[in-house]
Amino acid sequence: MDAIGTLVSIFARPDLWAGTLRFAAPLTLAALGGVISERSGVVNIAMEGMMLVGAFFSVLVAAATHDIVLATLSSVLCGGLIAAVHGVASIHLRANQIVSGMAINLLALGLTSFLMFRFFATTGTPSDIPALPDVKIPVIYDIPFVGAVIGDQNLVVWLSILAVPLAWWFLFRTRLGLRIRAVGEHPRAADTLGISVYRIRYLCVILSGLLSGLGGAYLSLSVAHSFSDNMTSGAGFIALAAMIFGKWNPIGAFLACLLFGFGQSLGINLQGTGFPDQLVAATPYVLTVVALAGFVGRAVAPAADGVPYEVGE
Amino acid sequence: MTVATLPIERPAGRLRQLVASGIGPVLAVVLAIIVGGVVVLVSGSNPITAYQQMLVGAVGSPFDISETFISSIPLILAAYAVSFAFRCGLFNIGAEGQLYMGAIASTWLATTFPNWPGIVLIILCIVAAMIAGGAWAGIAGWLKAKTGAHEVITTMMLSYVAIDISHWLLEAGPMTPSNAYGTPESGPIPPQAAFPIILPSWILPNARLNASLFLTILAGVVFAWILWRTPLGYEIRAVGFNPKAAAYGGINVARRLVVAMVIAGAFAGLAGMVPVWVQMRLYDSFSPGYGYEAIAVALVGRNSAIGIFLAGLLYGAMIHGSVAMQANANISGFLVQILQALVLFFVGAELLIRWLLRRGGLRALVEAPA
Repeated sequence: MDAIGTLVSIFARPDLWAGTLRFAAPLTLAALGGVISERSGVVNIAMEGMMLVGAFFSVLVAAATHDIVLATLSSVLCGGLIAAVHGVASIHLRANQIVSGMAINLLALGLTSFLMFRFFATTGTPSDIPALPDVKIPVIYDIPFVGAVIGDQNLVVWLSILAVPLAWWFLFRTRLGLRIRAVGEHPRAADTLGISVYRIRYLCVILSGLLSGLGGAYLSLSVAHSFSDNMTSGAGFIALAAMIFGKWNPIGAFLACLLFGFGQSLGINLQGTGFPDQLVAATPYVLTVVALAGFVGRAVAPAADGVPYEVGE
Repeated sequence: MTVATLPIERPAGRLRQLVASGIGPVLAVVLAIIVGGVVVLVSGSNPITAYQQMLVGAVGSPFDISETFISSIPLILAAYAVSFAFRCGLFNIGAEGQLYMGAIASTWLATTFPNWPGIVLIILCIVAAMIAGGAWAGIAGWLKAKTGAHEVITTMMLSYVAIDISHWLLEAGPMTPSNAYGTPESGPIPPQAAFPIILPSWILPNARLNASLFLTILAGVVFAWILWRTPLGYEIRAVGFNPKAAAYGGINVARRLVVAMVIAGAFAGLAGMVPVWVQMRLYDSFSPGYGYEAIAVALVGRNSAIGIFLAGLLYGAMIHGSVAMQANANISGFLVQILQALVLFFVGAELLIRWLLRRGGLRALVEAPA
């Protein structure tokens, strides 16, 4: 009974729900990128690495310039750059995309930690780096509960939420989106119709890098206010799971990210309440497995996902 | 081709094939070393010093060679877990969790019955590790067979669950005896249940390399034997090659998926037990990501028993060598991750390698007979 009372009181905490949105934001950005990339037929398990690169270079530039715009831009750019490496390997070199993705993840971990040691080894990253701004919404902020949940959220949280319908509209309601899906389902047919398979795929892979990079910058600049080795600690893999869980659909992926965000937030809110928080932390993962087995069923990837395409003569 | 030339051609062809299958990874390593060297150079250090320190650190003394093996063994075993599932067309991204379960089960057994005779205890611990790892992976296999749940998600999610369970067991108490510092760690593994140390201390003092090396070699033999010498292995490979054709040929695909995952998980379970039996305690977060690096090792080793063994030794040597490099050359040990990533990248970018070989006039190696 006491346990239930504790649980109820935690569910009434705005912190829990604000935290859900906060934790879901970087996952959402990365997962949306994954959806776009895989819809075009390039398997992307490298969101983890792209986020890590974004996280590091935003802090590096922030420390050097104290300019939040430059810092954010460079994280997005570097995410896109390492995604382009994955693109070259997957598209032009026709490498196994899982191999290339794992290589990118390892490379990002190695490179960022290596440079971390080079630049900040003894001191850690400086504490006076600028953060991404919070958005205080005047009227909503004063509403009890709601105000505490969404009245003062970070700009990136709003961007991530905004990106969901945008990505959906882009993929399913624009001409370019149709082309992307065509390339992911049947590249030969798309090629015959004069669509450049390579160009579309590069665009989508790089787009996923830009989004993941921004997610990484949010983690380092605004959540942690610092960079530490391997600080994404699996967020990119969770985003990958969310993408599949959401059946390669932006809205589905977002809902999955909310679930994971909720689980993380719940774990933190339960700390010190006597609940075994380590086990609570595992609940979203258990839920995912149960949901996947019970309700979601067979997740079908785009038909040409992971299949390198060779331009015909 | 005349019949008479066949017996002469065949061994030569096979040798060429062997060289051809090995030259890719070797060239990948060379390229990785070059690119990694550029990274070191650009960051303002001397790459020659870095590599020299790494090499000396990895194999410069008998003690270091023993430590290199210790770094390699869990990687090799976990890579067998990744690779065995690969052979059945499954991407086992969750060897990490399976090895945690193996570590937990074997540690629990050893610390709960500390007075059992050593030989009995260690054999039972090996069995327990394999069962626990196998069962954990089997869940993912079973879900895949029953509901089509994607194994990339299920194995990864189950990994996080296993790691959280280990945190709970070690941080919240159930497996942690009260100790002076309140650190989350299990009780000691009873000494009689230790793996015998291979080199006695009068030959090499403080060497830690133990008989788990033989277990690893045995695991490699079993891995290859099941896959290439048994009907089960044939069916597993058939499912991996083309599940529809396998089903048409009368193979029970669902059952093979489950069996392949269970066997894969058993390898991972062993991979989890071995490092615990080196430290003689289960520490919180004991794995530095063996299960993830194992994916790279499996890929570089091209899913063959020998390839994985060699790739695991290479990765283990880099890991151990990096300790000395960081200390003596003041270059971040994370250079190793960069090198590992580059090796993996160049192994994946086969086309690039082929192109390089062709430019180098080694066409014969590229177009080896199938």
